[in-house]
Order: sequence, then structure tokens, then C-alpha cells
Amino acid sequence: MSGVLVIEDDDRIRRSLMMALEDEGYKVRGTATAEEGLAAHRAEPAEAVLVDLMLPGIDGFECVRQLRRDGDATIVVVSARDDTHDIVAALEAGADDYLVKPVAIKELSARIRAVRRRNRGGQSSPGTIVVGDLEIRADAGEVRLRGEPVPLTRTEFLLLCELGAHAGQVLSRQQLLQRVWEYEFGDERLVDVHVGRLRQKIEDDTASPRRLVTVRGLGYKLQR
Amino acid sequence: MPRLGLRARVSTTVAVGALVLSTAIATLSYQFIRSSLLDERRIVVWRTAYYDASYVEARIGAPDTDYVQVLSSFNPGRGRTPVLVVAGTPYRLDVAGVDIPRDLAEMVEGGQAARQIVHTPQGPVMIIGIPLATTQYYEIVSLRELDNNLRQIGLVLTLVAGGVTLAAAALGWYTGRRALRPLASVAEAAEGIAAGDLNARLDPQAEPDLERLAASFNNMVDQLQQRIERDRRFAADVSHELRSPLQTLAAAAAVLERRQESLDARTADAARLVVEEVDRFQQLVTDLLEITRAESELDLSEVDVLALARDQCKRREIDPDVVTVLNREGDATWRADARRVEQILGNLLENAQRHGGGVVAVRLYQEGGYNVIEVDDDGPGVLPENRELIFRPFVRGSNAERRGDTDGAGLGLAIVARLAESHGGRATVLDRPGGGARFRVELGRQS
Repeated sequence: MSGVLVIEDDDRIRRSLMMALEDEGYKVRGTATAEEGLAAHRAEPAEAVLVDLMLPGIDGFECVRQLRRDGDATIVVVSARDDTHDIVAALEAGADDYLVKPVAIKELSARIRAVRRRNRGGQSSPGTIVVGDLEIRADAGEVRLRGEPVPLTRTEFLLLCELGAHAGQVLSRQQLLQRVWEYEFGDERLVDVHVGRLRQKIEDDTASPRRLVTVRGLGYKLQR
Repeated sequence: MPRLGLRARVSTTVAVGALVLSTAIATLSYQFIRSSLLDERRIVVWRTAYYDASYVEARIGAPDTDYVQVLSSFNPGRGRTPVLVVAGTPYRLDVAGVDIPRDLAEMVEGGQAARQIVHTPQGPVMIIGIPLATTQYYEIVSLRELDNNLRQIGLVLTLVAGGVTLAAAALGWYTGRRALRPLASVAEAAEGIAAGDLNARLDPQAEPDLERLAASFNNMVDQLQQRIERDRRFAADVSHELRSPLQTLAAAAAVLERRQESLDARTADAARLVVEEVDRFQQLVTDLLEITRAESELDLSEVDVLALARDQCKRREIDPDVVTVLNREGDATWRADARRVEQILGNLLENAQRHGGGVVAVRLYQEGGYNVIEVDDDGPGVLPENRELIFRPFVRGSNAERRGDTDGAGLGLAIVARLAESHGGRATVLDRPGGGARFRVELGRQS
């Protein structure tokens, strides 16, 4: 896994983003279509993939879905669309983050750096956390519910590890953004959508969650 | 003079019409009743008088007749006074009765039977004069009873006319309301549209007489809806079209900025200007898009505004403990558009930091139908004449009072106002007790 892959059909945006990210010290590749991008990622997986939503052929949402299915790369959507529906749809398709154009290069770079730190530092988590019938094996990168393995994306896994490490304690959305995404400040919808996805995998009834509960005015808590 | 309302006018017209009509009918009825009662009375009076006259005549043949004796020998009945005039001398039973009018006396003396109505303080009387062989016989008949009857009939008729007029006025008022009721549904629909419900339409079948109004009203709303939709699409398109080139500019500017050292002085200066302007342009476009977003529908959810406010404070290095919730439960979970509330909080805090000497307090509470956000600052406050002005776009405040977004495009508070309006609320600025300004944003509670 190495470098950043930019999937963006607008030639000028792609070129300028690639230049700017190269200046920030990344190894950058770029493609104009999702098809080329997916092929390039399969040939040599990138650490982070930046995806535009409005692409010819396979659109951004589908591209995110396929990238997520293929692996663990961090997927950041960079789109001109700022509608909440698009944001939630992209996050639900599997994106780790969603940035609305125009994105300042410093911010983009900070997010990719955070992802890098996360990917490298993620391995040194404490051992196994058991919360009720939920077993989080941080070192093995594995989660089991009643003994059955639960398939989680990297972000979901890190989110659950963070909540599990502080089981019984409330973590605010901003704390989770800082600890899981390593963002100083970010869009809280990121946390909400990922919590929602996580609930679909670990809760029996997502409408009335029993394990991962919302604490009004404060944030989220993994029940002991 | 203020113009009368439609209902009042309808009601007045109907009442006046009814008044004229009922007065005419009452007057005619009165005249008819009066003349027929009088005619009847006259016939009776004449007949009795002739009878009495022949009775008297039969008893006054002797030269030494006691005329008063004769008159008192028969009872003419209540209200009838007989008078016998013999050679110009009246003989009568009542001492101070009604005098026989001269012209009537002359006619009777001339041999002609006649009558006359005379009004006396005791009421009207009819005087019948019948010439006898050598004398004249008169009968004075009181019409008081008849007069009383007529007076009562007149009173009743007047009351009826008055009643009819009042009833007509009431009917006019009522039918006016009924007639205007379909307009109430128009008003309701218009209010709904003003409140943002563009799907409100009128049923043209509901009121056949107002079909045209309903049709043109619906047409107007269709046009309005299309126009708003077009504007919204346009704003979305513009947003997209502006964002893409800005992304290129932002990235390219970053490249220039990073390489400033390797450029010659002049190019570096130019590059710096480009970078700065791209930043400003980016902020301006983001703000403008924020304003156009205020026009779109609310994206409602349960928003933890306390957490949001604390985070917004942390983000700006403000002690999050300045945020207090004033209701009993101590939480502020409001149904609102999270993004917009965040934007409002962010802009208010930024405004306080930039132009108000820092944030003193942030209060969240509920009052009436509103969720309220208050941000107090430590600045010089806002002059009363500027309190409305500062919420307008591109107002940066005078030099004397550097309020509003002087560094940015001057859209910060305008965005706050628009976002508040989009929640059915408003943004105002007050004096903070103890100095400084208090920005108050009311958000209508959403269901």
C-alpha cells in the first residue's frame, strides 16, 4: 500500500490536486474514471483514495462501494455536492470521510496524514476487550459477536476499539473524531453515520440499540 | 374616513333596503287601516246621530220644551255628547264641552248636514251637525279610542319596520360571512404558501362562483413553485460550477505558495496576492452558498445543541464552559437542521471574537415556541440605528464601529439571519446588561 490515488474526471482539478499533494510529499497517481481508478488500485493498492462523486461511467458512490469491498484503503470523497443526502449516501457506501470542494490543500493533507498515522499506529492497540457478548481483538483486527466474526471496515473497527477501550464511558463526537479519525475538528455527521453502520453490524435492533447507546447532550457510549 | 369592510357594506346596503321597504309597507298599511277604521266609525256615528236627531226632534215641538231635559232623556252612550242649538243658543249636558266650530255651524244653519274633526286636549273628536226643522242638532263623538288604537297600530308597525331592518342587517352580515367564507380558504392557502408550503392549492370545484379566483390562484402558486425550483436548481448549478474551478485555484495556489522562495521577488509578490485572493474568494463563495442553502428545505433531526455549541467554542479556543443551558433538564436537544445551527453558532462566536472583544456567555434555552441561542460579547455594543443593518449582506459597519465581517465578505451575520429565518425565527442584537452586545437568535420549534 502506498501513496494517494486521485479519481477525478475534471482534468484541471486532478492535475492541480496531484501537484499540490506531491508538494506535500505524497506519491500521487491520478485517473479520470472510476474504472481506471479501480484497476489502478487493484494493480497497486493506494493508502488513500480521493474520489469525486460525479464521474462518467461508474459513478462515485459505486466506485466507493467497490473500493470498500476490495479492501481497507482509506476512502475520502471530494465532491462539489454538499447535500446531506449525498454526504450520508457516500459515507454509507463506505467512505471514511467526505470533503466538500473547494478543499484547502492543508486540510486535505492533514486528513491523509491522520489516515497514515492511523494505519501505521493501529497495530499497536491493546489486546482483547470483552464487553458482554462482544469480543474486540484489537491486535488481531477482529471482532466477534457471540463467537461469530463480524466483518468491519477499518474505520468501524477503530471506532469500536476506541469505544471498547472506554466501555461504560461516554465519548463525545469530537473526542471520537480526534481519536479515531485523528482530526482536530471535523464534521460530526461522520461519527453519526459510522456509528449507524456499526450498529447495523453489532445491534440486534438498530432502532433501540442496547450495546452502542447515544447519550443525549454528550455523545456515544459502549454499554458494559 | 376609513373605508368600510365588504361585510359591513353588504350588511348596510341590505339594512337600508329593508328599512325603506318596511317603512313604505308600514306607512301604507297604517294609512289603509286608519282610513278604513275612520270610514267605519263615520258610518256608525252618522247613523246614530240621525237616529238621535229624530228622537230629539220628536220631543221639542212644544214651545216651552226643556231642551236639556230632552237631551238628558236619552243616553247617547259613552263618548257622545248631544248639543242642541235653538235660535243660536246651544243647549248641552256638559258645561265646558267642545265648542261648535263657526264654519260647521254656518253650514248646518244653512240646512246642510256636516261633520268636522276637531282636535282637543282630550283627543280628537268628530262633530256631526244635522239641521232640524228650526233647530240644529249636534253630536260630539270622541275619537279617542280610535286614536289610541291607531296609535298602537302605528307603534306596532314602527317596531316591525325597525325589527325587519335589524334582521336584514344581521342577515346581511351573516350572508356576507358566508359569501366570504371561500375567501378564508384562499387566505389560509396563501398563509400556508407564505410559510413555505408550496403544495397548498385551492379546489376550483369547492365554490363555483370563485372558480376563476381558485384557478388563477393555483396558477400563480404553480408559477411561484416553478420559479423557486428554478432558482434553487440555478443556485445548485452555480454552486457546483463555482466549486470546481475554485478547487483547481485552491490547489494551484497551494503549489505557488509552497514555491514562493524559489520565485523572483516580483513573481512571489504576485503569487502571494493570488493566494490571498483565492482564500478570500473561497470564503466568499462558501458564504454565498451558505446563504442560498438557507432557501432550501430544512434537514431536520434531533440536534444536541449543547454539544454542538461546546465543540464550536473549543474549535475557536473559547472555554466551552461559557455555554449554559437554562432549562431544568439541563440539555438542549432541539429538532432542527444541525448544519444550520452549527453555522449560526460558528458565525456568532466568530463575530464576537472578531468584533466584540470575545465571547462572554452562550445561553441556550426555550421560550414560547422558540429555541433561543444567545451570544454575549465584551465589545462596544451595536448602535440602535445599526441593529437591523448589520444583518444585511455585505454590510461591514462604519469605521467608527467595526462590526460585521470586516475581514471576510461581510456575510457572517447575514447568514445567521437567513438561517434563523429558514427555521421560522429571527436574529436580533440587543444591549448586554453591563456593556457589550447580545446576539439573540430565535429558531421556531419544528415538529
